[in-house]
Amino acid sequence: MTGRYLLAKDHLVPLLRKIAKSNRLVAPVLNEYGDTLFSHITDLDSAAIDLAHQPQNSLKSFFFPQTEKLSTYLVEKSPKTGNVRYNFYPHTVENQPTAYVGVRSCDMFAVMYTDMTFLHNGERDNYYQKRRDNAFFITLACNHPFPNCFCNATRSGPFLELGYDLQLTDLGDRYFVETGRSRGMKIVEQMGQFFKPASEADRREQFQLALEARGLFQRNVHVELASKILQEQDEPVGIISELSSRCQDCAGCAYVCPTCTCFNIADLPLDEESGERIRSWDACTFAGFSKMAGDHNPVQCESQRVRKRFLHKLLHDVAKHGRPSCVGCGRCVDICFGGVDIISFVDRVVKTIDHCRDVD
Amino acid sequence: MAGIEFQKQERQNKHQVGPFRQENIYLPHPAIIREIITENETVSTFVLEFEDALYRQEFTYKPGQFLMVSIPHQGEAPISISSASALTTTFALTVRKAGKLTGAMHGLSMGDVVGIRGPYGRPFPMGDLEGKNLVFVAGGIGMAPLHSALFSCLEHRQKYGAITVLYGSRNPDEICFSEEMKSFEQDENVKCLLTVDEAGDNWQGHVGLVTELLDMISIDPGTSKALVCGPGIMIRFVIARLESLGMQAPDIITTLERHMKCGVGICGHCHFDEKLICSDGPVFTRDELTNLENI
Ligand SMILES: Cc1cc2nc3c(=O)[nH]c(=O)nc-3n(C[C@H](O)[C@H](O)[C@H](O)COP(=O)(O)OP(=O)(O)OC[C@H]3O[C@@H](n4cnc5c(N)ncnc54)[C@H](O)[C@@H]3O)c2cc1C
Ligand code: SF4
Ligand code: FES
Repeated sequence: MTGRYLLAKDHLVPLLRKIAKSNRLVAPVLNEYGDTLFSHITDLDSAAIDLAHQPQNSLKSFFFPQTEKLSTYLVEKSPKTGNVRYNFYPHTVENQPTAYVGVRSCDMFAVMYTDMTFLHNGERDNYYQKRRDNAFFITLACNHPFPNCFCNATRSGPFLELGYDLQLTDLGDRYFVETGRSRGMKIVEQMGQFFKPASEADRREQFQLALEARGLFQRNVHVELASKILQEQDEPVGIISELSSRCQDCAGCAYVCPTCTCFNIADLPLDEESGERIRSWDACTFAGFSKMAGDHNPVQCESQRVRKRFLHKLLHDVAKHGRPSCVGCGRCVDICFGGVDIISFVDRVVKTIDHCRDVD
Repeated sequence: MAGIEFQKQERQNKHQVGPFRQENIYLPHPAIIREIITENETVSTFVLEFEDALYRQEFTYKPGQFLMVSIPHQGEAPISISSASALTTTFALTVRKAGKLTGAMHGLSMGDVVGIRGPYGRPFPMGDLEGKNLVFVAGGIGMAPLHSALFSCLEHRQKYGAITVLYGSRNPDEICFSEEMKSFEQDENVKCLLTVDEAGDNWQGHVGLVTELLDMISIDPGTSKALVCGPGIMIRFVIARLESLGMQAPDIITTLERHMKCGVGICGHCHFDEKLICSDGPVFTRDELTNLENI
């Protein structure tokens, strides 16, 4: 059973200070440009932790950096035989235990989803795993969803029932604290001075907030209906080609998306005899993503470039994992200047049906 | 020398005890080119052996599987294993010069080293082939993965019924494994028919599409299995022809190609509808493929 505690708001920073003694801290920080981003906190006194706004980035890059060295290689010509020796030396991931603080449920769900891709798909990605093993999460339930949020429709928020180590709910002058995974319980045990048991009244207050939050979404996105339509009917060719034609191929959507993890692997020669093998974020909307030798491309970019992205999240992953791999964070809505975001796709798919019904 | 800098830290990694190297799925292992067989102007077969004796012993594979091949400074490419899984420590890759990496590979010599990781992918269902009449239909470099399956079958010839090989090339000079194909002429174990798109002066054989060869043999749909590999469009036409001859979808087996980076189902590059070709395939039966349009 999960434990329930209270944490006075002015105890949060002291608690983090204590946690920071043996962990790196990552939390939403308001920077000098007025942007809130998940950032490493080196100095708790000067960092402006901002739990009021949605961080523009997700946690993706902390587990799966935008570019990362996989290995270094050496190519050496044997002076005796003239033959080439060719060896790879793995890059060791430097990573410390890290506390991720102020993580909202959409981003927590995204981490659980990327776990499936990197760890549970048969082969384990040990670069990802090293960082993941070192992570624990102090999440923040969303009392007030942001304008583009629709995690209620993707079943990934606004409150968490699993995945977190500690979940905080803002009760005004104090946080209601739930312990999820064992590391959360350990923190409460080890740092008991910050926590006191929550009362039944506190629990009811939190429950009430969770209920109310569900009613506060400004967007009404029919994700499940769209998935159902995609399962039952041929894919909506007209919608895909319309949205594809408006896509400028910038990959902004895939980069801000907390669950898009496609990557490229390429060699970066340093000199004649050495180089690095680098992996970097890629996006299925890029024209070269599927291109094969002889310029053969099984994906017709003009009309299909957004097809994989939307069908993967709303059709293929629903079939495979029983839930969409869109977590409803709304970041792609903010970033796409062509309006080719997942909400616009869902809306169009749902409309085709409304339209057909009207005709009937 | 940029190389020097990392050596201190990372050279040590190599000498760490086995597990990290094993655990790291992205780390290629050096393999020495023992032999290069020139198949034709653009295709060569590279016979390889791992440098590391332990790896040499442990390495096994099944027909239809592929390897990720690293060539210095060129990155990696997926290449099917073309040898049969006989009990040798060597294995073979038959590679067509198609671009940067494969071009550089053709510039290598015996004794040179390439990087190898794998084997990856779902192999041909060799068990299901036993007791069946087998029809291998290949186009161009598509013969490479089928060669592995074909020679595994020939190693245990008595386990299979009639074996027929239908092989189409653009012209007579582009036929791979031509020695072996020629030897089938005198071999009652295998019936082999070749065709080319354009005949040269010395070509007495058939001219036309490989689908036409299907009309020159008789297939009993109930007792046969077909293995098909080649360019996407050829696969599509051959499958259609096999179906019109009465073959059932589960008896038609093909292997598909996609842009690949990781080879292990993580990077997303090889998507094909809901499938990842590298880990769900590359071998599929016809009934597993709903849509042949973009293969
Ligand atoms: C499962 C599988 C088995 C294969 N088996 C063989 C074989 O036995 N023999 C053979 O000759 N060829 C085979 N191929 C095709 C071979 O992988 C390509 O010809 C090769 O990747 C071309 O690389 P390149 O650098 O020479 O070509 P370029 O045209 O210079 O580069 C092509 C670009 O596409 C990328 N790419 C990734 N995957 C592929 C792909 N599948 N095809 C083409 N480009 C790709 C490359 O990284 C590169 O960036 C196979 C492909 C797959 C998927
Ligand atoms: S989608 Fe919005 S409301 Fe839902 S968890 Fe994320 S930030 Fe909170
Ligand atoms: S090649 Fe990376 S997922 Fe298939």
